[in-house]
Formats: sequence, structure tokens, C-alpha cells
Amino acid sequence: MSRNAFAWYMQRITGALLVPLLIAHFWVEHFMSATLMRGDLTYEVILSRISNPWWQAIDISFLLIALYHGLNGFYGIVLDYGKIGPRAATATLILIVAVGVAWAIWGIMAFHNL
Amino acid sequence: MNKRIFISRSGSGSKSRWQNYTLECSPELTVLDALFSIQQQQDPTIAFRCSCRVGMCGTCGMQINGVSRLACKTRLTELDGKDVFLAPLPHLSVIRDLVISLAPFFEQWRKILPAMRSRDPESQELAVVPEDSAYMRHTAGKRDCITCGLCFSACGVLATNKHYLGPAAINKALLRVLDPRDTARAERLEILDSSQDGVWRCHTQMNCVAVCPKGIDLTESIGFFKRRLLLKNGELES
Amino acid sequence: MIPPRILVKTYLSPLIGMTAYFMQRVTGLLLLFYLLLHVHTVHEISGGPVAFNHAMDAFSNPLFRLLEIGLLGIVILHALNGIRIMVIDFGVATRHQKRLFWGLAVVIGTLIFIAGALPLFMHSVWER
Repeated sequence: MSRNAFAWYMQRITGALLVPLLIAHFWVEHFMSATLMRGDLTYEVILSRISNPWWQAIDISFLLIALYHGLNGFYGIVLDYGKIGPRAATATLILIVAVGVAWAIWGIMAFHNL
Repeated sequence: MNKRIFISRSGSGSKSRWQNYTLECSPELTVLDALFSIQQQQDPTIAFRCSCRVGMCGTCGMQINGVSRLACKTRLTELDGKDVFLAPLPHLSVIRDLVISLAPFFEQWRKILPAMRSRDPESQELAVVPEDSAYMRHTAGKRDCITCGLCFSACGVLATNKHYLGPAAINKALLRVLDPRDTARAERLEILDSSQDGVWRCHTQMNCVAVCPKGIDLTESIGFFKRRLLLKNGELES
Repeated sequence: MIPPRILVKTYLSPLIGMTAYFMQRVTGLLLLFYLLLHVHTVHEISGGPVAFNHAMDAFSNPLFRLLEIGLLGIVILHALNGIRIMVIDFGVATRHQKRLFWGLAVVIGTLIFIAGALPLFMHSVWER
């Protein structure tokens, strides 16, 4: 499988995975109880869910999958705007990966003080 | 009924501008008929191309009210409203008024090695393609391309990336790659796999399918390559 | 200089696939931008209850609740059109892509949106 074919495939796999993850996320954050429906998301309410390591694992996976999907999509947009030369394309890719890694670390660090 | 026909006028180097002509239109009149009428009775200087006048040759392609269409196959009655806007096909070099050069189209066409590289060029035998071959099964309805350039002009990706191969070239490549008599499959697959020019730039906008006068499902041809390059590493059933 | 009303009709009918593509791109970029803001906000949770609740108070404003409902709409559009794209990619229904767009993204999407947005709106905006 070529690298481009893999990226194309993964965009669809991650997209499909994001659908149930998003439904679950919206449900758990906004619909599961009357408090949540009002939008009263306090530290205590969220902590009760997020201190569970299973939820942390799901949330982190959710973040990584969403980051891959979004940044891969963004790279596609870059490639669509005319020929940027193989070196510039690789440089852009490295930049996007770096941004993605930093973003992921920042997101995972949200759990470090719980 | 009366219609106002706006024609994009441009010459060598000069900026394009709209010039309008009023025409009394009978119901069966096509855009091409209207152009002939205007040229003969109102303004002999307008430039446009045509050949067969029956939708077979693909020469009279132009942008009609924003959509790439064949002038000979577009009746004025199909177009809503009193005003009709005729512009040259986008993404191609404009020579004058509605006349374009298909050179950019064929430059992409040539990149996919459109000629068949036969297994045995010296052979005296007829090379027969069997009825039940992959070629016959997968290319039904795909062999009718008249290289009119409408798909190339309508493609939204080509609007921003002139290096994209385009639907017609990729469809042609499909005909060659599936042909059991051809030997250049690997080279073509590599060209089609290119990250900036190849099939991966297609985003299934399907403008090409909407405008193809031969009803070729171009997006399906391009999708065929995406699935093949993906799943089978270019391997095809024979 | 082609009148906008001609172009709108063109993009809503023969070229609806192109409109779906624009919409997918725009919603995708918006969601990527939102993800940035969201990770920033969630990160506040590591600052402890006071810092976090203070940050969340800023969002109790009904305007933010409305934006959240808008976010739901954008997510639904992007997701359902994404499913439509996958169906097309599998070569299943390229002839029906326009009907798929209107059916999936618009009809079903609107139904899901109303199912989701109405309760949220009633509870979090209307009651305040």
C-alpha cells in the first residue's frame, strides 16, 4: 500500500471511528443528566467521570484520532493548492506532525493533576 | 421569446469583457445556433469553435451560465431567465472570445502514457480482448470519451492545482491499465499514485460526472484506482 | 459578472457535489479550530476546581450555549457528508450522490440536529 493510499484509507477509518466517539462524547457531556443538560459542567461533575482511567483512555484516544483526522485533512488542503515541490511538501508534513504531537501532549497533560 | 446573450470577448493580451446581443429565439434553438445567428446577422467578429454540431466531436465546449457544456447540445429553453452568459472553458488557454486551446488538457493526458504498450508490437495476430475479461466488465460506458475537455474545465481541484491529472486522463489510464494486452501498468500506477498530481487529489466533487456529455462515471473510474492502489497494491484480477 | 442567482442555482443543482465539498472543507477547518479551543479549555481542569469552575462560568452565558448548538450542527453536517463520501468511495452509489446529499446531510441531519438541539436549547438557554 503506498503512503498516499494509507493516508486516504486512514482518513476514512478515523472518520468512521469518530462518529460513535462523538456521539458518546456529546451524550456523556450534555445529555446524560439534568445537570449536564442545563450546561452546569463543574469540576466536581466532570471529575466524577474523568478520574476513571477508562474514561481517560477513551478521551485520549478520541483526541489522538481527531487530531489525525483533522491534521491529515489539513495536509490534503495544502496539497490541493498547486505544486509545492517535494521538499516543501515534506517540510510542511513535518511541521504538521510537530504541531500534532505538541497538541496531543498538551491535551494529555490536562489529566496530570487529577 | 427574446434572450440576451452575453459573450465574453477577449483578444491577444486584452482583458475579457462581456458584450451582449439580443436574439429572438425559437424553441428548438441551441446555443450554437444562437452563436451562428449572432455571427451572421449582428457581429461577424465573434470567435467560437464547432465541428459536427451533434454532440459527437466535443469541439464546441464552453461555459454556459457557469456550467461547462457543449453549445450544440444546450437548448436556450433549458436555460432559466432572459440572460445567457457564454464564457470560454476554464482551466485552458483562451485564444480569443470563446475559442480555447486544449493544450493543458493534453499535457495531462500524455502524462499517463495514453498509447498502449503492446506485449508484442511485431505480432501479426489480432489481439483479442475476451468478453469476460476485467477490461470488458469494468470499462462498460467508460470508452466513449471524446476529449471535449468539459470535465477538465469543471473540476474544482484543477481550479487551484493545475498539476492535477484530471478526470479524462485518469479514465484513459483506467482503459489502458485494465487492458490485458498492455504492459505499462506499473508505470501508470506510479504516476497515478503521485501525491500532488494523482488520483488522491480527487475529492469526489463529481462536477466531472455532472458535465460529461457521454455520461461517463469519471468519479467511479478515479475511485477504482483509489481502491486498487489501496487494497490490492495495484494488483488487478486478470 | 454572472448574476449570483444563476450561480446559486448551478451550485445547488448540477454542481451540488461541489457545494458539499466546500461545506466539508469549511466545517472541517472550523472543527479543527474548535478542537484547539476545546483542548485549551479542558486543560484548565488541571488547575484545580477553582480555576476550572471559573473558566466554565464564562461559558454559562446563553450565547455560548447557542454556539454549542451551532457546533452540534456543524459536526452533524461534516459527519453525515463524510459518511456520504465513504459510500461514494466504495463505488456503491455514485449515480445517486446528489440524492445522498439531500437525503443524508440535509434531511436526516436536520432531524438529528433538532433531536439534539431542541432539548439543549430548552434546558440551557430557554430556562435562563
